[in-house]
Amino acid sequence: MKTFEEKWTAWLDGQLSDRELAEFEASLSDKAAAKTEKAEAKKLGLLLKRELGPQSLLNAEFFNYQIRERIARLRKAPAWQAREPGSTWWTIRRLLWTGTASLALFLVMAVFIRRDQNPAEQSQYLTQILNARVDPVVSPNATISMFETNEDRVTVLWTEGLQSLPADYAAK
Amino acid sequence: MARCLLLFVGFALVLSTTARELRGSETVWSGLVIAENVAQPQPIPPELTGIERPLKRLFGYNQFQVIGQSRKELQTGQEDWLATSKFFGLHVDAHGESRAGYVLNLKLYKEKELLLETDAKLSKRSPLLIKGPQVGGGQLLLVLVVQ
Repeated sequence: MKTFEEKWTAWLDGQLSDRELAEFEASLSDKAAAKTEKAEAKKLGLLLKRELGPQSLLNAEFFNYQIRERIARLRKAPAWQAREPGSTWWTIRRLLWTGTASLALFLVMAVFIRRDQNPAEQSQYLTQILNARVDPVVSPNATISMFETNEDRVTVLWTEGLQSLPADYAAK
Repeated sequence: MARCLLLFVGFALVLSTTARELRGSETVWSGLVIAENVAQPQPIPPELTGIERPLKRLFGYNQFQVIGQSRKELQTGQEDWLATSKFFGLHVDAHGESRAGYVLNLKLYKEKELLLETDAKLSKRSPLLIKGPQVGGGQLLLVLVVQ
């Protein structure tokens, strides 16, 4: 069962069936005033529809609007925030520059580290004498000692008591 | 830009390869040296200029003369060679290469008589000096240097 307000709204909108329309209009005490009100409501509806309806934008206006929006966003936000979603800071040019800079840095570090390591490396790799022996029959009193001089970076095998030889043995 | 980078990387690769190849073939200079004290010393032989100071300081002589020498380019580190003078012979037998240098067996002969034998790891940065027998008023020295 519809209330009076529902029937009134349906009457204004012209959505009552013939039977409902006849019954509703018969129930109205001042039919003329109701029809005037219906006409005014219809006028108001048309006015609202015309004035408040969705405005269609032309293509040019639409793109202008987008550009203005983007400019405003760029002005507001710092550069790193204003990037398009999905875009990256690593452009080809930046990648190349970064690669070159990394290589240069690597070379500089390699040179410095190598220079720093040289003294340790040198001391590590002095010549080593593993063993030494003389013929006890030929040189029974011979003694052998060995030492390294870090200052000159030489290793010396020092023998004493080897058989002395005449100066003729110095011949080429 | 990309071309420059490629060129740079290529150049670095060539350099490193060349350096590795150069490192692969090193020369060992072996010499029989007579050290003496004389009034008018001769200039030191060019092979010994790099170690002139330790030679003079350690052995106390003012003249050094090369009486026999050998310069051997090592490819595999397994080579052997001989440095000889009229009466002495230094036989060097390489037994391989390590990071520390070449492993060598050295034998000093007086004619056919073995006077001294030693095994050493000859560093590429550190010469080996061996004090041999007294010869007249001087001293026989054996010198090995990686050049």
